[in-house]
Amino acid sequence: MAIYALRKLAFFLGAVFVASLAIFILIRAAGGNVAAIVLGKDATAEAINALAHAYGLDQPLPVQYFNWVTNMLQGDLGQSFRTKESVADLVTARLSVSVPLALSGLLLGLIIAIPVGTYAARNVGKPSGAVLALISQIGIAVPVFWAGILLSVLFGVKLGWLPTGGWIDWRESPIGAIRSLVLPVLSLGLIMAAVLIRYVRSAVLDVMNQDYVRTARAVGMTRTQALLSVGLRNAALPIVTIVGLQIAELIGGTVIIEMVFSLPGLSRMILANVAAREVIVVQSTVMLIIIFVIFVNFAVDLLYGVLDPRVRNAA
Amino acid sequence: MNTTTAPTIAPRRRRRLELNASLVVGVVLTIGFLVIAIVSFFWLPSNPNIPNIKNRMLPPGTVDHWLGTDGLGRDIIAQLMVGARTSILVGAGGATISLILGTVAGLVAAAYGKIADETISRGADIMLSIPGMVTALVLAATMGSGALTTIFALTAFFTPSFTRVIRSAAMSVLQEDFITSAKLYGRGKLFILARHVIPNIAGVMIVQFTLYFAAGILTEAGLSYLGVGVTRPSISWGMMLNEAQQTVGISSPLAMWPGLAIVIVVLGLNLLGDGLRDVLDPKLKRRS
Repeated sequence: MAIYALRKLAFFLGAVFVASLAIFILIRAAGGNVAAIVLGKDATAEAINALAHAYGLDQPLPVQYFNWVTNMLQGDLGQSFRTKESVADLVTARLSVSVPLALSGLLLGLIIAIPVGTYAARNVGKPSGAVLALISQIGIAVPVFWAGILLSVLFGVKLGWLPTGGWIDWRESPIGAIRSLVLPVLSLGLIMAAVLIRYVRSAVLDVMNQDYVRTARAVGMTRTQALLSVGLRNAALPIVTIVGLQIAELIGGTVIIEMVFSLPGLSRMILANVAAREVIVVQSTVMLIIIFVIFVNFAVDLLYGVLDPRVRNAA
Repeated sequence: MNTTTAPTIAPRRRRRLELNASLVVGVVLTIGFLVIAIVSFFWLPSNPNIPNIKNRMLPPGTVDHWLGTDGLGRDIIAQLMVGARTSILVGAGGATISLILGTVAGLVAAAYGKIADETISRGADIMLSIPGMVTALVLAATMGSGALTTIFALTAFFTPSFTRVIRSAAMSVLQEDFITSAKLYGRGKLFILARHVIPNIAGVMIVQFTLYFAAGILTEAGLSYLGVGVTRPSISWGMMLNEAQQTVGISSPLAMWPGLAIVIVVLGLNLLGDGLRDVLDPKLKRRS
C-alpha cells in the first residue's frame, strides 16, 4: 500500500507542476504589456513602469513563474493590481456560493443516479429499463444551461415559487440564500444524474453477471439480497472512480449555472478578472481550482487502493 | 456465463433489436441535421444577421417566419439553420483534430515501448484532470473568442481521451497472432500499424468520433452561451440562448428553439454512436 500511495503522490505532484506551467503559459501567452492595459490609456510611462516593477511584471517570464510558484507554496496567492485585495480573500468570499452549489449538485446527482441506475440494470431488456435508459440518454443531450432556463421558466416565471436568478447572502438571510440555490442545484443535479445513471447502470450490470453474485444466489439469497450484500459493494468501486472523473465536469457545470442564475460565484469573478487582465488573480484562482480537482482524483485513487487490494497490488 | 443456452440467447436477441432502433433513430436525426446545414448554404428564409425592427418579436406561426423572430426582427429558422453549420464546424472540427492527434499518440504509446507509453499515458492523465470549462474561459479571453479558439479548446480536452481509447484498442490488436506472423515475416512497425492495426481499430475510431462530435456541440453551445465562443456574424445555438435571455427574458419561445435543436442533434449523434458501437465492435462494452 505504501508504494501504491507514493506512486499516486508522485503523480499528484507531477500533475500539479505540469498544470501550473500550462496555466502560466496560457495566460501569459496572450502577451501585451499587462501593466499598461491595467492602468488604461491615460497612464504615464512612469506609472506603468512603477506598477510593472511593483509586481515583478518587468522580470523575465521564467523568473515570474518561479516567483509565482514559490509565493504560492508559502501560501501567498498574490493580490489584485487595482483593488489590492488578496486573491485568498477574493476566492474565499466566492466559495460560500460555489461550494454549496457544486456539492449539493453532485449529491443530488448521486441520490438520483444510484437507485435509478440500479433499477435500470435490474430491468435491462424490460420496458421499464429501456424507458429509463432513454430518459438518461435524453438527459445527457440537454445542455446544463438550458435545463437551468427551463426550470427557471417553470418554477420562477410560471409558478413564481422561486427566484429566477440573483443572490441573497447567507448572513443577510440563510433562507434567502437557500432559495436562490434551489433551482441552480436542481439543474446541475438532474444533468449530473443523467450522466451518472449510465455509469451506475453499467457498473451494476457488470457485477450482476459475476460469479460471486451467482454463488450468493446459489446459497439461497434472492436477487435483491445478493445485489445488496455483495453486488453494491463491488459496484461501488467503479462508481467512486467515475465520481472522481466527473469532478472536472461538475466544475464546468457550476461555471455555466452560476452565469445562468447570475450567482456571484467563482466563475463570474474569473470572467471579470480575465476581462480586466488581472493576470495574477486569474492565474492563482484557476490554479486553485485545478489543484482541487487533481487532489480529489488523488484521494479517489487512494480510496480505491484501500477498498480493493487488487488495484494496489497490480501497481 | 455458460449455464443453459436458452436463457442467454433470448435476452441477447431482444437486446440486438433495441440497439438497432438506436442506430436507426440516430442515423435519421443525424442525416436531418447535416441536410439542414447543407441547405443553409443554398437557401435561407431570410438573412439571419440583418435586423428588421418592424418585424421584431413575431410569434411562432407567422407566415414567412414560422418560428417567429427575435428581439431585432431576425428570423429564427434562418438563425437555427446557420447555427447548425457552426455546430458541425466546431464539433466535427474539434473531434477530427483530436481523433488524428489521439490516434498518433495512442499508437505510439501502444507500439513504441514502455518509456513512450508511460510519458504519453501519464500526460493524458494530467490533461484529463484539468477542468476544461475553466481553461476554455481563460483561453477564449486570452486568445480572443471565435470558432477557431473553440476548436482549439475542444482539441485540448478531447485528445487525451482519444489517446487512451486508441492506445488500449491498439494494444489488444497488437497481441493477436496475425501481428506476430507479420513480424516474423519481417514487416516493420509502421507497416504493421498502418496495414494491420488501424483497420482493426477503425470501428472504435468511428464510434469515438461520433460521441465526441456530440460532446463538442454541447461544449461549444456552453461556451457561446457564456459569450466566449463564436460571435456574430457566425451564429451558434448557445449564443441564441444567451441573446434570448439577455434581451427578452427566458420565458419567451426564443429560449426554447435553440435548446431543442441542441438536444435533438446531440441525442441523434449519441444514439448513432451507441448503435454503431454495437454493430462495429460487439466486443467493446457500453461505456460513458
